[in-house]
Amino acid sequence: MSDLLKDRALKKEKKMGKDGRPKDSISTVSNVEDPLHHDDTRLPTENTYQLGPYKRHSVPVITEILKDVLTCYLQHETYEAEWSRQMTKTLCDVIRARVKELMIPRYKTVVIVNIGQLSGQGMQISSRCLWDATNDTFATYSFKNSSLFGLAIVYVVYFE
Amino acid sequence: MTGTEDTQTSYEGSFGAKEAEAIVKESVDATIGGEDYNKDQVNKWTAAILERCISDLCKLGKQYKYIVTCAVTQKTGAGLHAANSCFWDTALDGSCTVKWENRTMYCIVSVFALSIA
Repeated sequence: MSDLLKDRALKKEKKMGKDGRPKDSISTVSNVEDPLHHDDTRLPTENTYQLGPYKRHSVPVITEILKDVLTCYLQHETYEAEWSRQMTKTLCDVIRARVKELMIPRYKTVVIVNIGQLSGQGMQISSRCLWDATNDTFATYSFKNSSLFGLAIVYVVYFE
Repeated sequence: MTGTEDTQTSYEGSFGAKEAEAIVKESVDATIGGEDYNKDQVNKWTAAILERCISDLCKLGKQYKYIVTCAVTQKTGAGLHAANSCFWDTALDGSCTVKWENRTMYCIVSVFALSIA
């Protein structure tokens, strides 16, 4: 299956704050789908008469994947801006590939990875989902060492 | 007078992200616009932002399941990187990420819309 997503070049802007000192740099990264693959004509599909998923995701299995990946990649590392930028993207792709390997059909996956520096700041990360709670679920794992923290969240959503 | 409030948005996919962006911005501005970071309030703020976003997205009446995440961080010069990777139908599904900041905190809200039909 061809991968439709292509990475765009990183855009980094430095803005000047009110007192003339440069503000923290803000970088924007976005993935763009290949325009050649745009297909406006959707093929009509037959009714499957399937009311629900035959096979569901197991949350402990996904949590184990997240724990494994985060610990393996982050354990002995220290926080650096450039490295962290690359590592968040790498971790996202690795986790998505591992969840896809579970081969649970008719499920869409969203993976979110946050890596941050530990400097005594306060932080709150929350999420809300509007979905079907019988079929859809999520898994999270957070990892911390002396200089950084890593948080991974995976949402799996059934495609009706 | 509070510091300058800044927003940046990035879109993905064919989901009508302009409306989602407007909903998110309005929700964040209404909840924490003009406030300073307060660790006792931050839990309530994120809950309020998310509840408002979800209910406004629901009112759009589209056939989507929504996932909304919100991260509020105090500004201390510490670095934070966030990335996401999605396995979905790129023709139907999409996401929208809004980065909002003021003098004392950053707020990053991501909306993922996954189509049902």
